[in-house]
Amino acid sequence: MNDLLAILLQTILLLALAPLITGSVRNWKAKLQNRRGPRVWQPYLDLLKFLQKDMVISEHASWVFRAMPYVLFVSTLLAGLMLPLVSASAPLSPFGGALAFVGLLALGRFFLALGGLDAASAFGGMGSSREMTIAAVAEPALMLAIFTVAITADRSTNFSQMVLAAQGPTWKLLNPAHVLAFAALFIVLLAETGRIPVDNPATHLELTMIHEAMILEYSGRYLALIEWSASVKQLVLMALLVNIFFPVGIATDLSPASVGLSLLWLVAKLLALSAAVVLVETTNAKLRLFRVPDLLSAAFILATLALLSTFLFQ
Amino acid sequence: MTLLIAILIVPAVAGLGCLLVRTRQVMAAANVAAFGLTVALGVELLRRVVAPPHVVTECEEFFRADALSAWMVLLISVVSLGSALYAGNYFRRDLAAGAVTPGRVKEYFVLTPLFAAGMFLVVLVNNLGVMWFALEATALSSVLLVALYNRSTSLEAAWKYVMLGSLGLALALFGTVFTYAAAVDKTSPVLPSFNWSHLMSVAGQLDPRMIKLAFVFVLVGYGTKAGLAPMHTWLPDAHSEAPSPTSAMLSGVSLKVALYALLRFHILATACLGTSFSRTMLLVLGLGSMFLAAPFILVQNNLKRMLAYSSLEHIGLICVGVGLNSPVTIFGALLHMGYHALTKPTLFFAAGNIHQACHTLQMRLIGLGMAKVLPGTAVCMGLAAASITGLPPFGLFFSELTILSGGFAAGHAALSTLVLAALLAAFCGILYQLTRILPGIPRITRTSDATLTDGLPAMGLMLGTLAVFSLWLPAPLLQVMQQARDIIGGKP
Amino acid sequence: MTPLQSELASQWITLLAAGMLVVQLLMVVQGMLLTNIRLFALQSLMLAAIAAIIAFFHNATHVYWVAGLTLVGKVFFLPWLLNRQVRRIQIHEEIEPLLNSTASMLLCGGFTLLGYIVARPFTSLERLGNNTLGIAITLLLTGFFLMFNRRKAITQVLALLTVENGVMLAAVALTTYGMPLVVELGIFFDVMVAVMVLGILVYRIRETFASMDVDKLSQLKG
Repeated sequence: MNDLLAILLQTILLLALAPLITGSVRNWKAKLQNRRGPRVWQPYLDLLKFLQKDMVISEHASWVFRAMPYVLFVSTLLAGLMLPLVSASAPLSPFGGALAFVGLLALGRFFLALGGLDAASAFGGMGSSREMTIAAVAEPALMLAIFTVAITADRSTNFSQMVLAAQGPTWKLLNPAHVLAFAALFIVLLAETGRIPVDNPATHLELTMIHEAMILEYSGRYLALIEWSASVKQLVLMALLVNIFFPVGIATDLSPASVGLSLLWLVAKLLALSAAVVLVETTNAKLRLFRVPDLLSAAFILATLALLSTFLFQ
Repeated sequence: MTLLIAILIVPAVAGLGCLLVRTRQVMAAANVAAFGLTVALGVELLRRVVAPPHVVTECEEFFRADALSAWMVLLISVVSLGSALYAGNYFRRDLAAGAVTPGRVKEYFVLTPLFAAGMFLVVLVNNLGVMWFALEATALSSVLLVALYNRSTSLEAAWKYVMLGSLGLALALFGTVFTYAAAVDKTSPVLPSFNWSHLMSVAGQLDPRMIKLAFVFVLVGYGTKAGLAPMHTWLPDAHSEAPSPTSAMLSGVSLKVALYALLRFHILATACLGTSFSRTMLLVLGLGSMFLAAPFILVQNNLKRMLAYSSLEHIGLICVGVGLNSPVTIFGALLHMGYHALTKPTLFFAAGNIHQACHTLQMRLIGLGMAKVLPGTAVCMGLAAASITGLPPFGLFFSELTILSGGFAAGHAALSTLVLAALLAAFCGILYQLTRILPGIPRITRTSDATLTDGLPAMGLMLGTLAVFSLWLPAPLLQVMQQARDIIGGKP
Repeated sequence: MTPLQSELASQWITLLAAGMLVVQLLMVVQGMLLTNIRLFALQSLMLAAIAAIIAFFHNATHVYWVAGLTLVGKVFFLPWLLNRQVRRIQIHEEIEPLLNSTASMLLCGGFTLLGYIVARPFTSLERLGNNTLGIAITLLLTGFFLMFNRRKAITQVLALLTVENGVMLAAVALTTYGMPLVVELGIFFDVMVAVMVLGILVYRIRETFASMDVDKLSQLKG
């Protein structure tokens, strides 16, 4: 019963917190560019709006088109449930760790790409192929970086184990392996969530789109689900970054007080990371597509170095 | 003022003093006077080192001159004197032809004594770190000398020289640091001395692995500055593009000064590791240099480049002599250092004269008949070429014979045969090249009589010294060389 | 010095040394000259910090001098000098290197491994920090590679300076109380003068060849 409650609560937390992060990032980006920007809770209102609208579906679309939003939504949520957010033991942690996490995200991305291709529009296909190019180089870096932390946590790929193993004096977290893995994961975060310098989330020029191009044909509640999934994926990756590398304030027991404190810590850390993302987005220009593999291979090399340094700096 | 410090101060003061002077004649005279004085001081140092305790130290062992240092001081001062004698009229002709500006000439007369002072510092200082600093100082001062003419080829040569040289010196610094780290005692906070004499006295207690790694880095690093193959690629460019007096100093002594630094580490490594490690590496690199140089001499078109490759060969031979590690071969190597330092500058001075007369260094453009156009120069060049290829009665014949006979006697018959083959190849190469320019009917007409005698005093001095000392080694000189041989061989 | 203090110092030194390595790798892939100069300044700052930490934990006052000289010379003076050069010469961007950035990064990863293997027998000799000798050797190798991979003269000067940084890191890591001050001063002034001489040469090359492309310096052959 407790487990079911935990799953329910973490799902609600993921769904509720995700649009907040998206909204904060958009608002701060605008403020940094001397604009007023949209309200922080605008994404919630957008989701409500999409849910109420009609859908127009191309007659060339197949069952893949209709199934994709659900697959994406569920796989992203499941991945999020395997991550420790407010308590050190994630609800689905007995069912999987790092590998299941990456696999679920990959499943979601696979269907997203198929959905882009399914409506037989040129832009959709372009977006799908670009997304796969980036994913091909980003995923190895993601895995290597996670494995680096796993090695220091007694070689367990279970996220809860990693968080528990990292408890101790804070400066122990400042070893080179962690720093390098953090840097690699930060670049992968930018790539996976479609931020500048990899992809511009606010562009309206189809030829420069990657993520947006795949979802051009979607409308109504399908679009709501997809946008929500994208926000949740962003939240999940950011939570991975902050909780695995800086598990400060994560509750190890389940008392309401410590969970509440842990929630506050989580929000604070997420907002700090969002500020960093906003800074990077504002100070850089979008890379041309053929340069993105260069950036991601730099992330890959950083992740490899991180892995090497776990035994290099014994 | 004490002797060693005087040897350092005299050229430094001369160089800095030339900053204030405006006329070329005064600057040239100042240089000649300074180097003449250093020759005298060098002879005095020789006399002091011969007498027991065979070492002169000053400033609490910061400066230390043993027999090897004294020998190097003598070589540096004689070659610098010759260059200074030659440079005065050389630059007069260059100024007249418009190849240099007066500012550049001043640059030459300021930097050259500083270059020489740096070289003196290398051989006289005891502290290995300061030795590195002095070598870097000589490298930096000679870079601007190489780039003096400011042509595109000069700048290219200077760039390669400074890049490869600095890289080599950075590696040598790494090796030096490693050597120091080997001497550091983990438990006491007192810094050990970085003096070579101190390290030699505790050589048995140094960590052999660290000394091995350190020696490898130092070999590559200082070997680059000494022009050992395969790190020699800057050598032909730099020595051919520099003005002839600078080429003479570069080929004549600066390579040997870098080799001196390498030898100090070789002696330390031998004392710590036993004989085979460092000497084998020296032997391999020396042989490599000799074999690499020979074909390039044969196909060369540029006169000074050919002379630079010949220097590469002779440095290789000196390394082989040290690497064979018998007292006879080491003595031969020391002799070779001296005779080569007298011969090579003469060749460069002659090449400089030809360059200024024909305005080119390309031998096919120089054409035949230099013997008729510049008779004095041609005679000196012929004699010097006979010397450099190892013909008797010149000294290089005796030193090469010594090294080869020592090699055969110590049982390294195969190696010695290889060395002989390389020497023969170089012999053929140089003689062939010189027959392309010296004999025959000239294409250009004889220049005015004044320029015919330019440079002859310098060449005459060097050749005369060579001739005298080829046949007669005075007792003090012989003693100093024997002591130096003992130092290198590991019996101080 | 208590074990806890020793461990904290080791942690910081290892972190800073790893930072120097990361900055070096960034220089390998980075194309803008001014950014490379800033990266070099950052790397030298980390080196100065390492020296300061060692001076603090071993109570060795003359290592403070090393930290101070590195700070003044390599973090402020040399980058200012090089910046001035770049602005005078008006060339701001590197051209295509010989090896593209992915291959360069892979090669430098290989160098890291090689540096670790070479330094392995000597790890017991370091008092503070783990395997900083390995990083020093890696900095040497990557600096070498940077020198041959790039074609602009200023980048080659920067590569030389990073090799120098690697050597100083080795000096600081291996010799617990540093080298005698006279040697440190000598090395410091040598590096300063070397960069000035190189600056003069670079300027002359620019004037004569109208470019800083080192590939144009290829007339002398054989």
